[in-house]
Amino acid sequence: MDKQFIAKIEGHGTLDIDWKKGSVKLNIHEGERLFEGLLVNRTAEEMHWITPRICGVCPTAHNLASLRAVEDAYDIKVSPTTTLLRDLMNCGQMIQSHALHLFFLSLPDYLGIDRGTELAKKNPKVFMKALSLKDVSDEIVKIVGGRIVHPTRTRIGGFHKVPTKKDLEKLLKKLEKTKKAAQDTVDLVAGIEFPELKVDLQLVALDGDKIIAVSSNNIKGRKESSAKNYKEIIDEELREYSTAKFGKYKGQDMLVGSLARLAVYRNYDDFKYKIDFENPFYNNLAQAIEIDIYHKQAREIVEKLLLLDLKAKIVKPKKDIFFKGIGCIEAPRGGLYHEVHLDKDGIIEEANIITPTVQNLTSIEKSSQALLEQTKNRSQEELERLIIMLVRAYDPCITCSVH
Amino acid sequence: MPKPKIAIFEFTDCEGCEVELISLKEKILVLEKRVDIVNWRLGQDDNKPGPYDVTIIEGTPITKHEVEMLKKLREESGVLIALGSCASLGGIPGILDKDQRKKWYKKIYGENYKPRGIDALPLTAYVQVDFLIHGCPVNGGELVRILEELLAGKTPKYRGYSVCFECKQAGNDCRLLDKKPCLGPITQGGCQAVCISGGSPCYGCFGLRQEAEIKNLLKVLNKITDKKEIDRYFSMFLNKVNKNG
Repeated sequence: MDKQFIAKIEGHGTLDIDWKKGSVKLNIHEGERLFEGLLVNRTAEEMHWITPRICGVCPTAHNLASLRAVEDAYDIKVSPTTTLLRDLMNCGQMIQSHALHLFFLSLPDYLGIDRGTELAKKNPKVFMKALSLKDVSDEIVKIVGGRIVHPTRTRIGGFHKVPTKKDLEKLLKKLEKTKKAAQDTVDLVAGIEFPELKVDLQLVALDGDKIIAVSSNNIKGRKESSAKNYKEIIDEELREYSTAKFGKYKGQDMLVGSLARLAVYRNYDDFKYKIDFENPFYNNLAQAIEIDIYHKQAREIVEKLLLLDLKAKIVKPKKDIFFKGIGCIEAPRGGLYHEVHLDKDGIIEEANIITPTVQNLTSIEKSSQALLEQTKNRSQEELERLIIMLVRAYDPCITCSVH
Repeated sequence: MPKPKIAIFEFTDCEGCEVELISLKEKILVLEKRVDIVNWRLGQDDNKPGPYDVTIIEGTPITKHEVEMLKKLREESGVLIALGSCASLGGIPGILDKDQRKKWYKKIYGENYKPRGIDALPLTAYVQVDFLIHGCPVNGGELVRILEELLAGKTPKYRGYSVCFECKQAGNDCRLLDKKPCLGPITQGGCQAVCISGGSPCYGCFGLRQEAEIKNLLKVLNKITDKKEIDRYFSMFLNKVNKNG
């Protein structure tokens, strides 16, 4: 293999561009770790310990998805405090992942620099904001989950340990201090002129226990399905050039992650920010907007938690156990699905995992081809650079996709 | 004096140790001033070929391409460092043995799939490694300590004590005394007992300490639990290192 791996994305992929045919293949080279295999014969309590190791960028999302799957199997409804603490972890996870991707992997493309740390010299103000957002989100995950990467405090039914009020008060102060950095990040990214592109895709996001899809050219028409049927809704196929499977939404090319979430939830100021949902480059703006959304949500949750009695109430399994459970969550890069089958002793018999990037791979190829078709008067070198920028804008996690 | 040329590569893994590295924030900037990071695919576009003064490798070399690259990197590198448990021990992917992998390829990918991965082994299975920075993920403080010692031209030292030492300092109740399995006594310190402090078990991701009393620990574990659970503890991170003690 002589080709260079695409730089500044999580995991190992190369591009195969056929200039004559105008086709693009995304070759995935990551080695197979076979997580669905290595989970078998481990205990239910080890699942949320093992699955974060699928991805060091979104370990908290895997941790929470596994907990939900096992708790679904055991028919456990966790306490409101546990739900709030987990939601807070997820806010931290979203900001951590988006800030890392935006400032260190994607923004250098738009600002004409090679690496994120060059910002320290070129634009120290923006760099300090980036660091403060990374710092506060790391702090959230650390205070609640126990560690920045791979949580230690979560358990089936609740938490081993919960943060103290003092920890949360300190966190709230830090959140107040970084509020402006989050808002400024949106304005910074909103000022970027993104390359032009128009692609017809299904934008898909989880809303509670529903999978919602809207078309990129008409985000008003919502199609709803139950997340319990995720296997029928998201089909995975094998490609001989990839160690990751390629996902589709009911046979159509799909996009998941920030851009899809904003299209489905419409929880942003669409008067102030113009998002072109047909253009996947806008995923970068969507990520910036989400940094602000989850930053605000984190503040609200901490304020609520400060009014509660923070005892860790652990909910035990009920007697009528189902043994099969599905846990799904919106991870930073989109819908994440964990399924588990347990035996009566709580040993895992079967596991299935569909990651967000698997769902994005098919449309990364489609969008790259559209970019080739729609961009005129550029050299091959410039076009290749543009395609790599597009791949990065999707924020693929190849590590996750080959699990 | 020219700055030392550093390269950072990752093989098959979660990249969480590199995330820990990035989470050092200001500290990484200070380090960056003293070195020249000439190759880091995750962080930059502008990547140069070897030779390198120091090469840091994260992940397990699971594919043929990765094994070949590891051998090439060994030849091109002055000092070769393993970053994190996947590189230093085989890590979580090492839970599966080579023959078990065959079964799972068929189940997960189907009969016609041509597997790329061979086996999840530590770097030391293929080349000589100068220092192992253990941990899943690595501990940020340890990372800074080891890199600073390397930059000062010293040979970094492994922690001569077990996790128990740091666990007591952290004020935790002893899991073994509470009749809960724990690999702390045989595991090298440096992690600040972060998992036990969070309420989770210690599965030994920092690798075996020198003169680890595995047999004595097994005596204690056999009184607490059954063989199946003991095997699960010893196979979480240490499957490719030391199975039966």
